[in-house]
Amino acid sequence: MVEEKIVCIGCPLGCRTTLRISDRGEVIKVLGYKCNQGRQYILEEYRNPVRIFTTTVLTEKSSRSLLPVRTNRPILKSRLREATLTLVGVKAKPPVKVGRVILPDLLNSGVEVVATDDLFPDPTLPIKGEGEGGG
Amino acid sequence: MKYSEIDVAVIGSGPAGMAAAIKAKEEGAEHVLIFERQEQLGGLLSQCIHNGFGLLYFGQDLTGPEYGHRFAEKVRDLRIEVMLETMVTQISADRKLTAVNSHEGTIHMQPKSIVLAMGCRERNRGQLSIPGTRPAGIFTAGTAQRLVNIEGFIPGKKVIILGSGDIGMIMARRLTLEGVEVKAVVEILPYVGGLIRNEVQCLHDFHIPLLLEHTVTQIHGEQRVEAVTIAKVDKNKMPIDDYKQHIECDTLLLSVGLIPENELSRMAGVALDPLTGGPVVDQRRETNVSGIFAGGNVVHVHDLVDEVSWEAEIAGTSAARFAGKEEMEKEKKIILKPGRNIRCIVPQTISPQHDVTLYARVKDMEENITLKVGDIFSKSLRVVKPSEMLKIDLTYSQLGQLKDDAVELSIESVKRRQNG
Repeated sequence: MVEEKIVCIGCPLGCRTTLRISDRGEVIKVLGYKCNQGRQYILEEYRNPVRIFTTTVLTEKSSRSLLPVRTNRPILKSRLREATLTLVGVKAKPPVKVGRVILPDLLNSGVEVVATDDLFPDPTLPIKGEGEGGG
Repeated sequence: MKYSEIDVAVIGSGPAGMAAAIKAKEEGAEHVLIFERQEQLGGLLSQCIHNGFGLLYFGQDLTGPEYGHRFAEKVRDLRIEVMLETMVTQISADRKLTAVNSHEGTIHMQPKSIVLAMGCRERNRGQLSIPGTRPAGIFTAGTAQRLVNIEGFIPGKKVIILGSGDIGMIMARRLTLEGVEVKAVVEILPYVGGLIRNEVQCLHDFHIPLLLEHTVTQIHGEQRVEAVTIAKVDKNKMPIDDYKQHIECDTLLLSVGLIPENELSRMAGVALDPLTGGPVVDQRRETNVSGIFAGGNVVHVHDLVDEVSWEAEIAGTSAARFAGKEEMEKEKKIILKPGRNIRCIVPQTISPQHDVTLYARVKDMEENITLKVGDIFSKSLRVVKPSEMLKIDLTYSQLGQLKDDAVELSIESVKRRQNG
């Protein structure tokens, strides 16, 4: 049996709970929670700890050097650093509208990385052709 | 746009300014103008690339830029006038306003009403008086956020963060993901300064040490930060010499509180509340200067952006009505007084004829309390913390229970007796 500690984020109380986990990974007991919603959150956080991932990607031919992006769905929290590294080589080219897909399938998870802001061309550069898109 | 025709001028285009301008326009003000000193709308939202915005306002988990984008689109759709890269340098009690930019030079106007939406700024090293040398490598957390998220620079490789405010914790996560070693977050209080969700998702998720009841007592380094001395503090927040440690780092970030930005307000003779650092306002968010309104973090520092926008909407509505010369009834005013364990309350005055929402912050963390407003409202709470703003909805009928000659109303946090 092992113990795992999880802090509940449901309310300002921030209960510091302890989960007793069997050798087969099943939750035997949750200790230290003060409401049923909290218990539900803790069980979910133990079974499937996921986060929305946000970062920036480099841009080309824009007056701003970075474009902020996010995942359209949460990903496993253990893969956040890996996700950051995956986006290192990605460059976004204007024009990009907010919500536009920048990377279609992050870490083979089926999760999309989308722009969270518009990206306009650098007004000091000559305009050629239509928008080539980001990616 | 004729400057002589401006009904409502809004200073600042962050989550407060845009919300105020939109509401003023929707409430019938014809010529609404926003002043923004940066090159785009949104204020600080553009550098807050993390999510957690709009959960209350839109019922969706948005990032800062996305939250700002929604308001900016509405500003455009409603044809609200916007002056970018333009800084308001002066306002007076009779609402004469001076602004400057590089293409028009100095601009003068006298709008029918003004909404203050300048937000807040970060407390810096000068306000903390940390002894030591003055090397490069000391930043406020917000400056580091701008460097990383907008400019594309990493401020350093080995970082200590002093203060556990939300921006500091968010930068701890952001820097860790970018490969920076965040050695510790150091907090002088026995509890975290920011929201619990940030403690969990920014510190615990990345195993970043949180040193509670600790502070930085010395900064070392000549050209660049080389190390800091950290000490445990006693009950009076004084460093204990026996518990000092030397930690090597090249960067110190400060996340030690926000201060409403009110230089312009002072020029206009707007009375400030020393407890909030912002203007004293009534429930319509009017200041003591007739026709000057205020909303958002310029009034008091909020926990959530959604609340910032909501408060600014009240100011925007009131400013539009004032500009439209709508008669304001002479209403009786009741002054709200912070009682036991209450640090500050907004608005500072109310009129008992209307429903009102009060915002209050406590001085110290306490468990099992009853929150009371005079004899007309009480609510049991399991915990109150300085980092979590309290919201109290009072109805017209509750306020009707006040005596006719009441001029003050006290808000207090009272310890509940424990059974068993």
